[in-house]
Amino acid sequence: MTSPTFQSPVTNGYSPTPGAELTLTDQSNQGKMIVRAGAGTGARGALAQPFASSRVAGSVLIAGTRPDEWMILGPSDAVSSVVSSIPDAGHVSFVDWTHGRAMFRLTGNVASSALEKVCGLDWSDAMMPNGAVTSASVAKVTCDVIRNDEDDTPSYLILCDRSFGQYMFDALLDAGEEFTISAVV
Amino acid sequence: MTLRRLPQQAGEVIDRSQPLKFTWNGKPAVGYQGDTIASAIAAGGNRIMSRSMKYHRPRGLLTADFWDPNAFVQVDDEPNVRSGHRQLTDGIDVSPQNVWPSLDYDIKAANQLVGRFLSPGFYYKTFIHPQKLWPAYEKVLAQFAPGGTVDYESEMAYFDKRYTHPDVVVAGGGPAGMAAAIAAAEAGASVLLVEHEHYLGGHLRYGTEEDRALANGLEVAARAAGVEILLDSTVTGRYEDNWLGIVQRSHPLASERLIKARAKTLIVAAGLIERPYVFEGNDRPGVMLASAARRLINMYAVQPGERAVVFTANESGDQTVADLERAGVTVAKVVDARAGGNIVSTEGSQKAIESVTMADGTSVDADLLITAVGWTAPTSLLNMSGDRPIYDPSAARFFPDRTPDNVLVTGGLAGDGTVDQLVEHGRETGTLAAARAAAVAHRLQASTARATPVDGAEPAMAADTRNPLGRDAHPELYRSTTHGIVDYSEDVGSKDLVSATKEGYDSVELLKRYTTATMGPAQGKLETVNTVAVLAEARGETIAEVGTTIWRPPYAPLTLGALAGRIFEPERVSSVHSWHVANGAKPILAGQWIRPEHYGNPEAEVMNVRENVGIIDVSPLGKLDLQGADVPKLLNLLYTNKWSKLDVGAVRYGIMCAEDGVVMDDGVTGRLGENRWLMTTTSSGAGSVWEWAENWLQTAHPDWDVHITPVTTSYTSINIAGPKSRELLSRLTDVPVDADSFEYMRVRTGTVAGVADCVMWRIGFTGELSFELHVPAGYGLHVWEALMAEGADLGIKPFGLEAQRVLRLEKGHFIVGQDTDGLTKAPTTGLQPLIKLDKDDFAGKPELAWAMGQGVGDDESSSAIDLPVLVSVQMTDSSIVPPEASQIVRPKTNEILGRITSSRYSPTLKASIGLAQVPPAYAASGTQLTVLLTSGERTTATVQAHHAHFDPDGLRLRA
Repeated sequence: MTSPTFQSPVTNGYSPTPGAELTLTDQSNQGKMIVRAGAGTGARGALAQPFASSRVAGSVLIAGTRPDEWMILGPSDAVSSVVSSIPDAGHVSFVDWTHGRAMFRLTGNVASSALEKVCGLDWSDAMMPNGAVTSASVAKVTCDVIRNDEDDTPSYLILCDRSFGQYMFDALLDAGEEFTISAVV
Repeated sequence: MTLRRLPQQAGEVIDRSQPLKFTWNGKPAVGYQGDTIASAIAAGGNRIMSRSMKYHRPRGLLTADFWDPNAFVQVDDEPNVRSGHRQLTDGIDVSPQNVWPSLDYDIKAANQLVGRFLSPGFYYKTFIHPQKLWPAYEKVLAQFAPGGTVDYESEMAYFDKRYTHPDVVVAGGGPAGMAAAIAAAEAGASVLLVEHEHYLGGHLRYGTEEDRALANGLEVAARAAGVEILLDSTVTGRYEDNWLGIVQRSHPLASERLIKARAKTLIVAAGLIERPYVFEGNDRPGVMLASAARRLINMYAVQPGERAVVFTANESGDQTVADLERAGVTVAKVVDARAGGNIVSTEGSQKAIESVTMADGTSVDADLLITAVGWTAPTSLLNMSGDRPIYDPSAARFFPDRTPDNVLVTGGLAGDGTVDQLVEHGRETGTLAAARAAAVAHRLQASTARATPVDGAEPAMAADTRNPLGRDAHPELYRSTTHGIVDYSEDVGSKDLVSATKEGYDSVELLKRYTTATMGPAQGKLETVNTVAVLAEARGETIAEVGTTIWRPPYAPLTLGALAGRIFEPERVSSVHSWHVANGAKPILAGQWIRPEHYGNPEAEVMNVRENVGIIDVSPLGKLDLQGADVPKLLNLLYTNKWSKLDVGAVRYGIMCAEDGVVMDDGVTGRLGENRWLMTTTSSGAGSVWEWAENWLQTAHPDWDVHITPVTTSYTSINIAGPKSRELLSRLTDVPVDADSFEYMRVRTGTVAGVADCVMWRIGFTGELSFELHVPAGYGLHVWEALMAEGADLGIKPFGLEAQRVLRLEKGHFIVGQDTDGLTKAPTTGLQPLIKLDKDDFAGKPELAWAMGQGVGDDESSSAIDLPVLVSVQMTDSSIVPPEASQIVRPKTNEILGRITSSRYSPTLKASIGLAQVPPAYAASGTQLTVLLTSGERTTATVQAHHAHFDPDGLRLRA
């Protein structure tokens, strides 16, 4: 029997487009942990990240996705390490969403213009600055979107139910076609 | 036919180095890059562009722009193209619409002979009786339908969509609009400038050298200021909170793009639209607006005629005289309305004017009549903003009254002035718009958690300190002393309007609907004010007293494709989808999921499960992770049965009811640990059950310690079913699966095929020994393939939804939503033992208590009611499988008693079986039921003793 290897929800093949204005990268294999913590728990203090914002902590990203919910994203080992440091006393729960969510990174100076084609939110720097976290209907699928710029270039992490992964990847590629986009899977 | 292309003009927009070939009316023609289709046709010496809608009168160019009512053509397979606006492209076939046999000789022009009978309301009055003849009328009338030909074989066009949130949207790219956009951008606002035409500059584009220089300068400045410019685009509607619809017609990837913009401030700079004059013969080819002539000469280098009469009431008409003379047109006479001059008619053939008669009785030979009688203020976007513009007789047009703070007006809509004054007003408006947008932006940022924080209180809305534009005096010129066409699109004349007014349709809204005046593709831009003026005259009142119709969206017609936009149809697939495709599964759409219906032979799949082992991908099954000390309370609230004593490792089935006692979902929940449960729901109920549970938690019991996380797609769910399923699973897992170690209705976690953290529970929907695996989805395909490989010697086969439906029906399991409906209360399902009325409370309890005849509290009036009963049935004739939803009827009267809810042929039993809802009196075992088939024939069915047709004692399930 072969040993198991993680299978991305994006199963179609794509050829990269050299020199494209945008890149869409499949990062579904990254670790994803949901932490929910009630009022007064130590976990809240340890996470210390306000709702709708995010911060980079080492190799992981900690995002306040709901008023009582955080998402920790990054390499699985690093995510586990952060999670193990969070106090679990009180009304605190952890759910591993590594397999449940597809995650894509859309990067480029015109990334917000591509998002404007699939989502009705205001993607301006004022309303969605670097680090901002929101949930949104993207191409009619409920997603979490985190702005996480790379080297001062606008970049967005887009997470959706894994089952929508292939559809979402293709929808984002289609949205980016106007500006030229390269798929990285 | 005389070619009318002029030598190079200073302001021409055509590129003579790029000739374009096309056909017009079946003959080869040539134009240039930058031509509109109409200008290219006109340059070829053609004066007739179309035939009118009702009377099929020949029509020539009137406005030579987007609004031209006489310039609709068919381009290849595309009907109703506005040739006054659409730019020429190489190789197109352009043809006139709705003419037979040709544009020059159209037999339908005979309609003019009976024109006196085609008065307003003709259709309503003529075809209402006798009603039974309407289908015949309809066929005949369809032959007279205007417009082009739709080719149903045409390739579907691609339409795009975009959302945007600019600080300022400027509707109109004339001098004031451009100046406003520049000023707003320079004040720090993000600005979207939307121009209806292909060029910025508005009337400056066909003006003087200085006009064009100014337009070019403003355009350069706008681009330098970072203004986003959309050409050939229209703001089609303004809605609450400055939600704007914008249609972008020129887009590299799409036929059209609908932009949904939320502007913090809207600047309406739509300019003015020149108005036709109503007089006898005003629709003869050769009668043209001054602005049309100037466009043709200055932008497209087309000579509009050879000998002209110019009827002018303003500077624009005066300038046209100069343009005509420069273009080599003989200006035979200038009739100045300001000096009391007037025209009353044109004479000639139907295809061209030959002379013009003035009010003083004199007549002048001419093939061209230019009218410059004033402008209509296209206040549509202001109407949509709640404004009710006011008519000023001294200026002969409407002006804005009051607009909301976030809607500002500039340019010709706001008033008159020199170009410099218009530009200055635009600048002031742009600065004001940016300031007001900043106040809105402050409020939005302050109230949005993710936004960049802002300091201080919300700034006050900036006061309007602009210097107002003036109003130039202009004679009121709408109709001469003669009658003529008012609505060119609808073929409605001033006589028709007067006649309708006399009939009693004397309010402007009624008149519009009765005569259809202003309802054509020009959307009233050319006709509204003339219609109102004729009505006012007929009523003996002023235009201000009559009022006007309210312009509603869209500002300009747009295609249904643009409204539909880019189509998003999310679809979901499991981790095993690629395997299903590769192995010949027939797909079926179940909700958003694409699932295998079968792999070629569903009956064989059923038998393989009964005899060997099969696996089915049940990943869409809803799954919720529940954590917290109060989960048992929540389960007790959601389910009708009891959950307080579910121990770790146990699984229990339950049904959920809405508060009216109607079954809303069912499924199993297992306790994985001291504080952790996994709930499954139906596939279709995955979202609604989550919302239902969260609703209870967040509204009724926010104090409960429960966290719910949807994990449906975290797992690939695989059901292994069949007598050899235990043997198969044992080969792949480290969890003991023998009957003693892993009993029915228990849950285990462990490793399967090398994949850790798999959840396994022993339950069965098929009636066979079964194990349901929930595998971390990233390894789902791996486990599926491992099962197929390890099960080869056991006869393993995949099975699809169809086989599963047969298997569960053989076992008598109902499906929520199929065997139940929106009125099915829980007792109907036959699961009364699962309804625990001795629990403190649960959703639907009071209603169920009443329904089950046990009363609630002191209410002694309640009693048992005759709820339908879900029963298992077997058809007498095994070859007949009644369609699901077939009626069960009383034999003699056909009274409907119930219905078949599920039906299939059972390959296991070699029988036609089903589930049915019937009244209690018909639910006893052995009762004969009459089933009405869709063919009208009847068949009979017998009620069975158990829901389960197969293995009613569950021996196979519990093996």
